[in-house]
Amino acid sequence: MNAIIALSLSGIASLFLGFSTNRKNLLITTLLFVLVALGLNLADWNHEYFWFNNMLKTDNLSINFSSVILLSTALVVAISRSFGDDEEHTHPAEYYAIMLFAAAGALMMVTYENMIMLFVGLEILSVSMYILTGSDKRNLRSNEAALKYFLMGAFATGILLFGVALVYGATGSFNIHGIGEVVSRTKKGMELFEGGVILYAGIILIFIGLLFKVSAAPFHFWTPDVYEGAPTIFTTFMSTVVKTAGVAAMYRLLSISFPAVYGLWGNPLVWITCLTLIVGNITAVYQQSFKRMLAYSSISHAGYLLITILAKTPNTNGSILFYSLAYSIATISAFAVLMIVSENKPKDGKPDESFEALNGLSVNNPFLAFVLTVSMLSLAGIPLTAGFFGKFFIFTDAFSNVSPLFKNILVVAILMSAVGVYYYFKPIIAVYMKKGEIAEIQLPLIYKITLIITTALTIILGIAPDLVKNMF
Amino acid sequence: MQQLPDVIRQIPLNNYVWFSAALFCIGIIGVLTRRNAIIIFMSIELMLNAVNLLLAAFSSYKADPAGQVFVFFIMAVAAAEVAVGLAIIVMIYRNIQSIDVGILNKLKW
Amino acid sequence: MNYQPSDYLPIIVQLGAALAFIVLTMVATHWLGPKRHSSKKDDVFECGIESIGDARTPISVKYFLVAILFVLFDVEIVFMYPWAVNFKELAWDGFVEMVVFMSFLLLGFIYVIKKGVLKWEK
Repeated sequence: MNAIIALSLSGIASLFLGFSTNRKNLLITTLLFVLVALGLNLADWNHEYFWFNNMLKTDNLSINFSSVILLSTALVVAISRSFGDDEEHTHPAEYYAIMLFAAAGALMMVTYENMIMLFVGLEILSVSMYILTGSDKRNLRSNEAALKYFLMGAFATGILLFGVALVYGATGSFNIHGIGEVVSRTKKGMELFEGGVILYAGIILIFIGLLFKVSAAPFHFWTPDVYEGAPTIFTTFMSTVVKTAGVAAMYRLLSISFPAVYGLWGNPLVWITCLTLIVGNITAVYQQSFKRMLAYSSISHAGYLLITILAKTPNTNGSILFYSLAYSIATISAFAVLMIVSENKPKDGKPDESFEALNGLSVNNPFLAFVLTVSMLSLAGIPLTAGFFGKFFIFTDAFSNVSPLFKNILVVAILMSAVGVYYYFKPIIAVYMKKGEIAEIQLPLIYKITLIITTALTIILGIAPDLVKNMF
Repeated sequence: MQQLPDVIRQIPLNNYVWFSAALFCIGIIGVLTRRNAIIIFMSIELMLNAVNLLLAAFSSYKADPAGQVFVFFIMAVAAAEVAVGLAIIVMIYRNIQSIDVGILNKLKW
Repeated sequence: MNYQPSDYLPIIVQLGAALAFIVLTMVATHWLGPKRHSSKKDDVFECGIESIGDARTPISVKYFLVAILFVLFDVEIVFMYPWAVNFKELAWDGFVEMVVFMSFLLLGFIYVIKKGVLKWEK
């Protein structure tokens, strides 16, 4: 997997570049590094390879996921500008290097063939995110978010690892295809073969560990705090790259290793999915802070992604990919607008992240208002945006699954999308209807380009989803 | 001279499983009940060590080195986690002169 | 040769002897020693020099940094053991891979030095 190697090397390179060049060059070079990795990643297209003694395996699905991750990383790097202009207390070279390492970890999580690589990739990603969450050292909220994220993340890793150890004890393998083979041989109802309890306990523990990482409902409680406390740029990274990688890793494991014991993880997942959708959407309604609302909305989107993992139709690959892509680009533009507006209008010396900060944005900044509107419509799933087709594909998958349970999930999901429309319209109303004074904000060129790309992609995918959907 | 795996195999596998499950549960209870960040952190390390023990036991019972290799990776990654975790805790201590997680309630849900 | 649990008996005996010695000396000094109280005698650390300040004085964060760096670089040695055991079988491939691994670590170390973390006087 050349992209992983390239990302690791360029991470080190950008660390050392920090000694010599200024901030602006760093941004450009980092962007270049990510795009090179994206190119290397796409060069593997249609080659199914095993790498490093069967540790990693690239196939078209993993390349697609890697591309979504690298595209999100590139867009996040593009809007990073200078990490708040604070010359003394920020270290852009290190932030960029850590982001590159995190992206490498995320790629390992979507291409792994061996549990060791899942663990190492997950940890590279998580440890990087702990650092980035706490990077605003003097801000107590950032500190607190970092500690919570760290403790919860390490706890989840411990649970995941215990599960891996138990599954290893039962199957004697860390290879996901090897595990899948043993698991499928031991099926025959739910009878307990030798070590069967160990296997089932292990699968459940792995499952819980991964649900922690994608922040599904009973295990979501750290998410809003961490997303709110982290600097906005890194929240963007977390809610796009980390989420996509987590869902992709979970999908890979469940679809390759454990399809034979669908009953074991499928039934709990039905309840978890419903709970995630309900908790994410209902709690988002009551939020006063735009950033916190986006955090809850990210929980609810994890719920939609879990539906298609559950549905297990031949279209699932395409649906997950399309949804992750649509969600990532819409989230990036929403957070970018939030970041620009909140930094422009500090309250008590801190960026104001409430809905009121957006009041009257459309008067002097019609472009930003339009970008925000499109991204909110896409997240809500209104037609003519990418989000609509994302939800449409997922609901079709759920509908084509004959199990009666799926009709129930579908009812919950559609109801909750309706709730979603309500809170996604709150910022739109604030922008267009409410009165407020925001002077014209001068946007740097790279911001403009990024926002145009994300908005255009959202609309194009909303009009012609087949352009991308057929690729997957 | 006996090989180490043979020595490990003198104790039944079940005992290892129960022992590491017990260690793991102690770790989980520690994480859930303690208020001091350092002690929560130690409990997490205890969980990881339970995993290491279990992997080593399985590995020698199956005569398969992969489990021990995994242990190496867990140890190395845990060291990185310790570094970052302690740095975060020190950072918080310098700001609020305490590491009681109860004080950290700026972010409410 | 097979080890039985009973083969570990000498260790238990040793453990018992050690514990008994500690308990014995503690009890004996408690009984035998004279007890005198004065403000000097009751100092936390009585050694003839007056103690100044609190034990919990903040220490420089540099100690912490060095300790953390030690932990990080120390643990990476763990990957050299399997390599050392299979040194002959892995031959040049293993050597090249180890050199790559160590050079990554070395780059990290160079970064640490260039950042000035190990400079004590600043």
